[in-house]
Amino acid sequence: MMEKKTEKDWSFLSSFGNVFSFFFLLGRKAKKTKVFYLLSFIPVVMALIVKFGQVFASRSSLTGIYVFSNFIMTFYLQFIILILALFFGTSVCSEELEGKTLPYLTTRPVSKASFILGKYAAYTLLIVTMTVVGVILCFFILNFNQLGDLSLYKILFRDTAVLVLGLICYTSLFTFIGTFIKRSIMFGLIFSFGWENVIQYFPGSTQRFAIVHFLKSLLPSPSSGRFSFLLFRLEPTPPFMAVIMLILITAAFLGLACVVFNFKEYILEE
Amino acid sequence: MKAVIKTEKLSKWYGNILGLSDVTLDIEAGITGLLGPNGAGKSTFLKLITGQIKANIGSVRINGEGVRNNHRLFSKIGFCPESDSFYEEMTGWEFVTGLLKLHNLPSSEIEKKARKALGIVDLEKNKDRRIKTYSRGMRQRLKFAQAIAHEPEILILDEPLNGLDPLGRRKLIRLIKSLRDEGKTVIVSSHVLPEIEAMTNDIILIHQGKIFAQGDIHYIRDLIDTHPHMISVKCSDPRKVASRFIKEDFVLNIDFSSEKDTFVVKTNNRDEFFRYLPLIFIEENSDVKEITSPDDNLQAVFDYLIGE
Repeated sequence: MMEKKTEKDWSFLSSFGNVFSFFFLLGRKAKKTKVFYLLSFIPVVMALIVKFGQVFASRSSLTGIYVFSNFIMTFYLQFIILILALFFGTSVCSEELEGKTLPYLTTRPVSKASFILGKYAAYTLLIVTMTVVGVILCFFILNFNQLGDLSLYKILFRDTAVLVLGLICYTSLFTFIGTFIKRSIMFGLIFSFGWENVIQYFPGSTQRFAIVHFLKSLLPSPSSGRFSFLLFRLEPTPPFMAVIMLILITAAFLGLACVVFNFKEYILEE
Repeated sequence: MKAVIKTEKLSKWYGNILGLSDVTLDIEAGITGLLGPNGAGKSTFLKLITGQIKANIGSVRINGEGVRNNHRLFSKIGFCPESDSFYEEMTGWEFVTGLLKLHNLPSSEIEKKARKALGIVDLEKNKDRRIKTYSRGMRQRLKFAQAIAHEPEILILDEPLNGLDPLGRRKLIRLIKSLRDEGKTVIVSSHVLPEIEAMTNDIILIHQGKIFAQGDIHYIRDLIDTHPHMISVKCSDPRKVASRFIKEDFVLNIDFSSEKDTFVVKTNNRDEFFRYLPLIFIEENSDVKEITSPDDNLQAVFDYLIGE
């Protein structure tokens, strides 16, 4: 009995690994990935402009790490990770339906759960790479003259970790949405730039219905400064609880995605 | 012989549209041709027996096991879908090896099997090209390669000859026959009778979601041969040629109302008509431009058989 269970676990893991490598290769080659790589580099270009402004126009009243933190808050947390998670998460299922390639996968000896999780992991790794490369470049550009200060690297690590957690969590949500809603991008846009942007500013525990609340709870709250309005009314959840919540949300949405994909009937339009 | 695939009272609706109705079949090893006009329910049947969609009523069993959500069964099944869909950015090699990986095979085995499958369909030279650069025939062959690469016991092929040139068709038919000789179970769907005829005698006729007839192809042929055929002849001096046919018993009527230089003969004995036709052309010294059979398609035959 025990032996059978181990064999089953191994088969699930190896199927997961095989699906992951198949879609990681495919994802790397896809045109969409190249387009989103360019998009994720917009903050890098902005960072270059800011740095040139500081160097050549001698407008150096703001420190590099201050600008970097605000880049994380405005560009990455509120925009880039949402867009990347939305387009890659929903496509875990919908690109198979739109491209009519689903029969190649559902007629293989891999469980539907390992397909969803393997493809989710492959796409999440792709977008994590895109984001982390951009963030690191921004950090180096903006802190060009302070690279010897080791305390700054702690901030880089913390901010990157928050963004990675955000990507993991949002992608799981959009993977789930993609398994059962046809126009999942539209729904995702409304969720990302409607719900998430509004609910996080609600007072009391209502703001905990937004994923971004838990991400912001992991970042220090600036009491003043140009972008402090983004943390307006934030009643942070303790960091440990915030991480636990993000992990639970991810697990719940991935579990739901697997259940829906297993039982829903997908009819490919002829 | 023991049935490999068994369906019982299989029915499927898409909303109000009937996809398949009350299909009970036993399919044994060898080639079984699934023949029916477009929209007859062939693809629905194949999707049901590969567990891609679920039946509203009835059941499918392959080697005694249920199919839907039984992913382990798919190590024994190869499926070639009808739609011309691929991961376009991949190369042919990446596509076949990638899908083989999903069978949990060791990498040395994957390479061996992929090379063999691509060699069989003559794609080895083009294996490193991106699929989006492949011709229609190459794409069709690649689809077939991924279905046979893991050497399944059961092959389910949805219109596999679509888009192939005559040489490609002949090769693929020969290959399908060789799979039968290896003892495999092959189900091939098509809407072209001669294609199925070239592969097997065992056919299932499907029309409007129902099994219309099942068995030996000669029975179907007999039905078709008693069906009055329309044959359109385009030639020089059509009236003179047509007048020679008028007195023959096998000619039911002749119609001149269509194009110029053309007459349409309705005959109840096609073989006799075609035996007689060249002699008349020679005797009347008429140049033949075109001979077509406007109703020589499966839909017309089905319409005739069901009395429409």
